[in-house]
Parts: sequence; C-alpha cells; structure tokens
Amino acid sequence: MTEVLTQPAPPVALLRATNPPKRRQTSPLATIVLLAGALYCLLPVVWVLVASTKSGGELFSTFTFAPGTSLADNVGDLTAYRGGLFWRWMLNTVLYAGGGAALSVIVSAMAGFALAKYSFPGKSAIFNMLLAGVLVPGVILAIPQYLLLAQVGLTNTYWSVLLPSIISPYGIYLARIYAAAAVPDEVIEAARTDGAGAARTFVDVVLPMMRPGLVTIFLFQFVAIWNNFLLPYIMLGNDHLFPLTVGLNGLLNQGAAQPALYTLVITGSLLSILPLTALFLSLQRYWQTDLGAGAVKA
Amino acid sequence: MGIMGRRGIAAMVVAAALLATGCSGQDDSGQQQQAAGPASLTFWTWAPNMDKVVALWNQQNPDIKVTVNKQDGGDPAVTKLLTATKAGSGAPDVMQAEYQKIPTLVAADALADISKNLDPSVAKAFPEAVWNSVSLGSDAVYAVPQDTGPMVFYYREDVFKSLGLQAPKTWADYAAAARKVHQSDPKKYLGTFSAADAGWFSGLAQQAGASWWGVNGQSWSVDIDSDATRKVADFWGGLVEEGVIGNKPMYTPAWNAGLNNGTQVGWVSAVWGPGVLEANAAKTVGKWKMAPLPQWDAAKEATGNWGGSATAVTSQSKHQAQAAKFSAWLNTDPEAVKALAQISGVYPAATAGQTEALTSPPKFFANQPDFYQTVAKAATTVAPFTYGPNVNVAYNTYNDAFGKAADAKKKSAFLTALTTMQASTVKDLTDSGFTVAK
Amino acid sequence: MTATHRRRGPRKLAPYVFLTPAILLFAGFMAAPIGYAVYLSFRATKVTGLGLGKGARREVWAGLANYRRSLADPEFVHSVGRVGLYGLLLVPVMMGLALLFALVLDSGRARGGAFSRTSIFLPYAVPAVIASLLWGFLYLPDVSPFAYLAGQLGLPSPELMSSRYILFAVANIALWGGVGFNMIVLYTSLRAIPSELSEAARLDGATERQIALRVKVPIIAPSLIMTFVFSLIATLQVFAEPTTLRPLTNNISTTWTPLMKVYRDAFTRDDVYSAAATSVVIALATLVLSFGFLRLVGRRAFGQEA
Repeated sequence: MTEVLTQPAPPVALLRATNPPKRRQTSPLATIVLLAGALYCLLPVVWVLVASTKSGGELFSTFTFAPGTSLADNVGDLTAYRGGLFWRWMLNTVLYAGGGAALSVIVSAMAGFALAKYSFPGKSAIFNMLLAGVLVPGVILAIPQYLLLAQVGLTNTYWSVLLPSIISPYGIYLARIYAAAAVPDEVIEAARTDGAGAARTFVDVVLPMMRPGLVTIFLFQFVAIWNNFLLPYIMLGNDHLFPLTVGLNGLLNQGAAQPALYTLVITGSLLSILPLTALFLSLQRYWQTDLGAGAVKA
Repeated sequence: MGIMGRRGIAAMVVAAALLATGCSGQDDSGQQQQAAGPASLTFWTWAPNMDKVVALWNQQNPDIKVTVNKQDGGDPAVTKLLTATKAGSGAPDVMQAEYQKIPTLVAADALADISKNLDPSVAKAFPEAVWNSVSLGSDAVYAVPQDTGPMVFYYREDVFKSLGLQAPKTWADYAAAARKVHQSDPKKYLGTFSAADAGWFSGLAQQAGASWWGVNGQSWSVDIDSDATRKVADFWGGLVEEGVIGNKPMYTPAWNAGLNNGTQVGWVSAVWGPGVLEANAAKTVGKWKMAPLPQWDAAKEATGNWGGSATAVTSQSKHQAQAAKFSAWLNTDPEAVKALAQISGVYPAATAGQTEALTSPPKFFANQPDFYQTVAKAATTVAPFTYGPNVNVAYNTYNDAFGKAADAKKKSAFLTALTTMQASTVKDLTDSGFTVAK
Repeated sequence: MTATHRRRGPRKLAPYVFLTPAILLFAGFMAAPIGYAVYLSFRATKVTGLGLGKGARREVWAGLANYRRSLADPEFVHSVGRVGLYGLLLVPVMMGLALLFALVLDSGRARGGAFSRTSIFLPYAVPAVIASLLWGFLYLPDVSPFAYLAGQLGLPSPELMSSRYILFAVANIALWGGVGFNMIVLYTSLRAIPSELSEAARLDGATERQIALRVKVPIIAPSLIMTFVFSLIATLQVFAEPTTLRPLTNNISTTWTPLMKVYRDAFTRDDVYSAAATSVVIALATLVLSFGFLRLVGRRAFGQEA
C-alpha cells in the first residue's frame, strides 16, 4: 500500500481536471442511463421536499407525493420549538463542521506539504502511522475519546466535538498528493533564494498554489464532521451545544411517552440539507478528489 | 425461583413500610438546615417543558439555581450518565431516571443516597410500591418519584360501536374483539405486538403477576421465564400467529398512519397515551375512549406500569443536599406537582397530585370527564414488580429475541424468546460477578 | 527534491514543525484513545454480592477473556457473515454504477450531463442518519409510494423491510449515499487522461465502448482500486443506516453488524470492556483486509513499479 500511495503524482492529474468534456454526438442511451441515476438519487430529496409541506395529519393520511400547504406553518413550528433551538443547532453545525474543517485544512496542508516536499528521517513511518488512522472507525474511537476528555473536564463543551474533528488522516493524505502535484520544487527554491523562510514560503507561495485541493479537503472534512453522529451524541449533554443531526435525532426518539415530532424532523431535515447542497453546488468546480492520483501514470 | 422472588419483594415492601411509618413523627425542619448554601445545579431531563416548571423553583430559590439540560429520552440519558460516572466527571447534579434504570445506576455507583438529605415525610407522599422502587427495599433513598405510567387501554369508540363491541373486560374479551375487528376489515387490527417496546411487555407481565427480578438475602434471582410471563407471551404469540394482531413495532411512521386512518383500532398503553395520540392523530379527536386494562381475572383487578421516572441526585454532584431539596420540591410541593402535571404533562407519582393536580381530563379526551378518576383507580391496582441491576440486558434481549419471534409469527417462538431472555439475563449477571440464586 | 533541502540549520527542523500540529492531534485524539481502548479490552468489572452501594464493583484484569467471549459469540459471528454478504452485494454494485456513470459523463454523449452529475452527487450532502430516515419512510408499506404504485397495479405491496429484503433495503441507502461520491472521484480521474489517447484509439476505429474499457479503465485503475478500498472500509463499518432503521422493523437486531454490537455492548449494556475487545478485532480485520487487498491488486496493477 505504501509504495502505491507514495508515488509522486504528476501535475497533469490536477491541471486537466477542470477541462470540460468535449461535446460529441449525443446518444439517447447515455442520456437515459444518467437520468435514471439522477432520478434515483433525487427521489428521497423530492420526497422530503413534499413531506415538509404537509401538516402532521396529512403526513400520514395523504398520498406520499401529494403536496400539502403547511410548509410555512412547519417552519414556524420548528422555529418556535423551545425558543428557536433549531437555529442554534444550525449555528452549532456551522461551527463544528465549518470551523473544524477549516482548522483541519490548515493542519492537513502543513502536514501534507512537509510530507510531500521534504525529506527527513522518520518520514515514511509518520506517513504510514497517520494513514493507518483512516482505517479506524469513529464508533471505536468515541468511547475512549470521551473517557480521556472527561479526565481533563472537556466533555459537554464545544471543544469536545471540535478538537477530535480537526485531525483527518484522509485530509493529510490528500494534501500530500496536492502538494506534490501542484507545487513545483523550483518555485519553493526560488522563494528560498529570495530569502523567504519556510513559514513565509508556505503561507505566501505554497498555500495559494494548493488552493483548489484545499477546498476539496475542506468540503471532504466538512461532510465527514457533519456526518459524524456518534461523537457529538456521546460528548454533549447540553442540547444547546448539539449539532443538527443529534438535535433532529432527539426530536425523533423522544421515548415511549412522547410522540416523535415527525413534521419537525422532516422540515428540519430539509432545512439542514439545503445549505449544504448550496455549498456543494457553489464549490462544485473545486471538487476533484483524485484518490488514485498518487499512482496515475501519465 | 418464583417464590423466592415474591418473598424478596414482600420483604422489601415491608422494609419500605417500616421506614415510612417509623419516621413519620418528625417535622420537616431538618430539610432546610441541611440544604443550606448557594449552589448552581444542572438537571438532565427529557420531560417536555421542564424548564418552565424549574423556572418556578428558580424564582423562589434564587441561591440554588437549577439549569435544565433537555435529554433525548430515558435510554440516552442513562447511557450518558453511566459513561460520565465511569469517566469520573461530566455528570449533572440532578437526573431524571426511569424506575427500571435505578438498580443499574445504583450498581454503577452513579446515584447518591439522599436519605440523610430528605425529610422523612417525603416518603409518605407516594404509594408504597412506588417508593420501594427508589429505595430498592433498603434504608437508602436513591431518587424521589416523579411520575408513573399505570397501563390502560385506548380504543376507537366509533369502530367498537359499529361492530357492536364493548370495551374488553378480560383478555379473552380482548382476543374476541381482535378477531371481530380483523374479520370486519383485514386491514384493521385491534393492536400490535411491539418487539421494540420492552417496557410495554414488562408492564403486561407485571399485570399478570410476574416480577422479573428479586432480592434474596445477598443474591439476586431472575424470574423472567415464569408462568405469569409465559401466560402473557403465549397470549400475544397466539394472536400474532392467528394474524388478528399486528406484529410490527409501535412508534413507526406506519403505526402513526394506522392511528390516523383507523386501521389501528386500539392501543394497549399507559396514562400518558393521550399526548401521543394527539400529536400523531389529531384528526381522530373525540373518537377514542379509555378503559382499564383488560384483566386476567376480572375479580382481581391489576395493572402494570409502562414508563414512569424519578428525580435522582448523582454521586458526582458537589451539592447533594441542595439537589435533594430540589428533587423533593419538584415532586411533592403542591405548586410544583401541579406544574409538572399541567405544564410538563406527566402523571405525577405523588398520591395527592394524582387527584389534586388533575381535575379535568386531557384535552384529547374531553369526551371522557372521569378520565383521571378511572386512571387513579387503576393506579391503586399496580402490581408489585422488582427491577434488577441488568434491566438493560434483559430489555435488549427482548428487542432481539421477540423481534425474531414476531417476524416468525409463531406462538412457540414467543415462548422460546422468553427462555432466551431468561438465559441471557442470568448469564450477564453471573459473568459480571453478581450472586444469582438458582 | 532532496537536493534542494540539504542546507543545515533551522531548515532541517522545518518539516517537523509543519507536522507538529498533526502529530499532536493524532496522538491526543486517535493514538491515545486507541491505546486506551486496547487497555480496556483487557479489563473487566467484577461485582460482589448484590452489587449495590459503594465499592461493590471494581475493575480487574481480565486477560484475553473479553476477546474469547467476543470471538465465540454467535451473534458476532452472524454479524460478520451478514456484513460480508452486505459488502459483496453493495461494493460491486456501487463501484459498477459509479464507473458506468463516470464513463458516460466522460464520453460527453449524454444530454443534461451537468444536471445528472449534480443530482447523483447530491445524496453525498445528506448525512446517513437523515438519509436512513427518508428511506425508512419510503420503505414502510403504509406510507410508501412503492406500495401505493404496487397497489394501483394490482400487485401485492412489497414488504421492503421483511427479513428477506432487509439486507437490500440497508444496502440501498448506502448505495444511494455513496455512488455519487465515487462517481465524482472516478470522473475526475477520467478527466485527467490526455485526450490524445482516446483520439488515437478513435482514429484506429475503436468504438466508444472499446475506448472506455480498453483505454480509459486501465488508466484509472489506481483510482478504482483506492475507491474500492475506501468503499470496502466504509462497508465493514456500516452502522448509522441499520441503527436508524432498527426501530421500524423486527428484522434488524441490535447486533446486526459488528459495529452495532460494539455500540450495544458499550452503551446499552454498559460493558465498555467487551466493546473495546470487539473494536480491536474489527480494526485489525479491517487493516488486514484492506492491506491484503491492496497487496493483491498492487502486485498486478503496479507490478512494473514494485
């Protein structure tokens, strides 16, 4: 595995990635294949869109895809729920996923750059160690992470979710590939002859060149944190610190004596998917996770 | 084993009774003295609107400020408390805990014994059987009872009328009604057997006279696979095999749809049922009626509990006296109990609260003015039941084993599931080192 | 590369300085917890008597007892078998579809390619917990549009969460969430292939299909392999989807997948020690499987470099 992963990537993998495909004669079969895929992927999204327009009664009594008229009411109810807690969850999610991903990008970029552009004792040992982290599932980490953070009294704080989210072995792996591919040695050498120190070179020269790759890492880590349900679920006792996923799950599982708040959960799901979708669409051109780039031969 | 279990309970009830009578002569001045000093307390609870109830306390007790942290429900809250206990920090001061979780929490040393911080009169405010579940039959007090969930039966009065049915008095009546309902329309069911709700099943077993755990000197006994529970499993397994009762879990979107469109004609549930019905099937208001749970022996009325919880003080709390004072206030002060019942919508455990705080029926059952009188009567017939230190394991095995049985739709599978529950519960206790009486 | 960094002084320290935050965070939030989990896996609590009251429960050394129990537990063995089957079902279908979509997109012969690409990628933005909730609604007969359609056509409504279909029902959610991501990864690799290669093949009279299979797929083989491995890892770690679906059906037990068993032992049964032992077993198995697979295909795909 290590031989495969440590091959320096040719810049071509990145430089060409943004070229649009050439138009050729269209084929109906190709169109149908893709549209079928699109339909399949949109089905549940359309469902949640429709379901969030229904009142609690309509949700269980009208045809699945028959729209209702209660979207505004549902959003109003959701906003009113315990004094706007939902929007607090939204802000928390932005903090955890956005803040965590941003910090993760910085840490990954530094590490990736060092691993790609320096030669030093212990390099492959460090890289392999970091990489092995990819294989460890979050479920396994969550309990000991909790027990250890409790020792320093950090559980049930923003830090308890934020700090463990910063380290991303996968982000470091990607950063290394991007640094190797996008930052020519000559540029670093030129900066050095101009008298710039390592830190200066990194901030002024390397980071701008790695930018498209770093956006990818940001998106990737953003989704990873946003998807990690268990960590905040275990760490947080105060629901004012919850991210959206944990909050919505709470609305759904209220225990036997309390009804699940389905309309709130569904409307909340819709509202929480929307901003992320917008983020993705606006940054789509940066999305170029080339997992195999490390080994592609031009 | 069954006899030992029963004897254990008897001993515990007697102990609790002695405790209550022996201390009844004192006044309540001690409480104030012990709970002196300002403090800031956190309170984990999942009861709706508890923050509003607590606001009353904060108004009257500015130096003991309580902050509510709303939890997802009984299971997640206990999970978190156990983890925090193991970690040595992170637990709240006050914690809502379901009765069946108390032995587990005590065994994990998560709860404080607050007997010294409580006025003895507190015990008298609750029915003996309820108090017994927070004292575990000892001199210690691990929590103050908050709410209980006596089981009752809800049914669609309109459907029953159109089929010429009466509210079932006995389980035999229930079975007959189930057949008739299903025959009238193959889409309709009088109820469903829910493998997802262990508390529901244990409540039914409790009604039938089972007590799944027992204390016998220094050892535990486990009596899940008893005649009483077998009777219950056999009954539901039979109806499921016959196909006249559903076999899908409750609390799913499909079940909600059934409540809405009238294919779920009845619901074996508990006193808190109206809130669930109102939220899930608001349209059906006025069509439901509540009746006491069908009986095994019409001459010997009994019911079980489904749900119900107490307010406990954690072992990690640095302000146990203040926390105990708050717990007692929340569940015995007339104003607090009234707020609990009316704002938070729980059925108070305090005997006085059941009649004084709940004078009018729940909104969803405006058609049944004597709703709470009927419940209060049923509440006096709750059968004794002892929970053990590994209810989590037993309940978890219930989910898996009865899930399989319900899917197989075989009566024999229901009885096998019970045997599995018994075996895995005993094995877990033995593995952990508990002394288990055979 | 090395030549440019041969100067003495602080420069030698630079890579370590750059790596410090990553290493510290790794040590604190991955290595230490893993080490702690390994430690816990050799421990157990012992209770005396009724187990009530202070000091009735203490932690003791358990040796390999937790491992023995974990490996011998029939439920664990079943969950491993189930996930194996699940992986055999899911990974090839997901990779096959992702490759198909990527190739079709890259061929530039579909109308509305950008729309389809975005739509197929969209589920990636939906967390597994929410995705499972949405699909759960679509599966349940009483609220499902599929059941409604079947009813309109006079067919019996499919019980999508019955014991026969439950594996497919769960795999479908993972497929839905994962196919777009893999498609984008492969598509990016395809875009990186110099167009001259395809043009040359085209001039030689190769059909689009032949170009796709004989020119493009071999070139992006490394990407395929990496996405395959990451999908495999994700598959072995399946947890959120069945956990969210579980309350809706009788057919997902609390030990349905190995990680669900870990969760159950740690949180439902309050036995972090068994959970830690099972975790260690799962982590090792994942490690062996993914490295083993890479070694296997690595020999073939990169034989010339090894």
